[in-house]
Amino acid sequence: MSCCNSLAQVQKLVEQLRVEASMERIKISLTAVDLVQYCQDHRRSDPLLTRIAASSNPFKDKKTCVLL
Amino acid sequence: MCDQTFVAATFGPCENCTKPSPLLNIYIKSEPINYCSFCVEQMACEGLTAGESLASLKRESESLKKKLDEERNKLSDVQLHQLAEKVEALSSLSVKTRRVLKGHNNKVLNMDWCKDKRRLVSSSQDGKVIVWDAFTLNKEHGVSLPYTWVMACAFAPSGCAVACGGLDNRCSVIPLSLDPNENLAAKKKAVAMHTNYVSGCVFTNSDVQLLTSSGDGSCALWDIESGQLLQSFHGHTADVLSLDLAPSETGNTFVSGGCDKKANVWDMRSGQNIQSFESHQSDINCVKYYPSGDAFASASDDATCRFYDLRADREVAVYEKDSIIFGASSVDFSFSGRLLFAGYNDYTINVWDVLKGSRVSALFGHENRISRVRVSPDGTALCSASWDNTLRIWA
Repeated sequence: MSCCNSLAQVQKLVEQLRVEASMERIKISLTAVDLVQYCQDHRRSDPLLTRIAASSNPFKDKKTCVLL
Repeated sequence: MCDQTFVAATFGPCENCTKPSPLLNIYIKSEPINYCSFCVEQMACEGLTAGESLASLKRESESLKKKLDEERNKLSDVQLHQLAEKVEALSSLSVKTRRVLKGHNNKVLNMDWCKDKRRLVSSSQDGKVIVWDAFTLNKEHGVSLPYTWVMACAFAPSGCAVACGGLDNRCSVIPLSLDPNENLAAKKKAVAMHTNYVSGCVFTNSDVQLLTSSGDGSCALWDIESGQLLQSFHGHTADVLSLDLAPSETGNTFVSGGCDKKANVWDMRSGQNIQSFESHQSDINCVKYYPSGDAFASASDDATCRFYDLRADREVAVYEKDSIIFGASSVDFSFSGRLLFAGYNDYTINVWDVLKGSRVSALFGHENRISRVRVSPDGTALCSASWDNTLRIWA
């Protein structure tokens, strides 16, 4: 906890808390749904999530068959 | 009798300090105030309005804090992982080390990807900043700086410059040239000036401005061309260790985390601290926005990573395990935001399922603590920088 001994510090703190208290908040049941939806919408384009073919991933080595 | 008028002072207990003394009858906004002369002077000097005092302000701050907590708790009607129950579980991750970048002579402290998804810049305790091509392991540029512990580095959105800073209390921008013989260190331009070490830097959406965070407890926005300070952000009461810019669609805000255990969200234009989150039990080492910009994650020395929802103004998930006791130094989201990669001081990278709150996988390979993890801009690979002098690319 910050030391609020000087008057100026406490005044700043009260101002800051007033700003924060006036913020509009939304219920988690609504906002979290959006977060889940974002994940689902972008699932296909996430290469680390859905394994994409090795040929299109520049970091995966392309295995070639060597016929001896 | 002479025509003299006296100020008829009343005598009685002062309304502020309650001591009996001659009172000054003054009016503030048509309200009569009967204070003793000492209290009136005190009021005038300290800019208080009637009835305020250190004690009353402290009381107001306590009640505001309680009110804020109540408001936040009211909104916590459901847990994130409860909503995510219907989401299918993740199959196991098959991510392996694909490249090991060797070249630094000391701990690699920071790294950043270029927007072209193949180049990256890394900075190290040995004072060097190296630009690599991650596909070919080619070192494209190397700059030797005159100081050690280069804690911050960033790639410009255009790919034409890098910024770096650290113990020199400055953040400098180095334009990259195609000529291999050119001495890049000579073209280095000092942009940011702090009064303590620079812990993080990021270019804002163009190559024109630079945002820095510092051990002096402040963050600052600078114009690169002129070196002028455009805006400073004060509010942290200890070193600021990390910052992240909101993804471009959502506007001019950024989040910072520091040793005061707080994560603050700031408005870049006004310098105002719009939201503050304090639920970690130790220093926050890294903060990173969720890809949609509505949430962010933080990594801390208390061995947990936490997920905060900005619109609900509270923490919605904690990623922790009894077996994880070492601090987390860095976090980053995968492209879709489903996975959270977190680097820890026990040399491992844990991969968390953001929605369900469980650990999906652990990546082993580094031989010392992880200092930074970053997913490439198109999400194909993860790069981790470590105190074992190497960087690893995982895909």
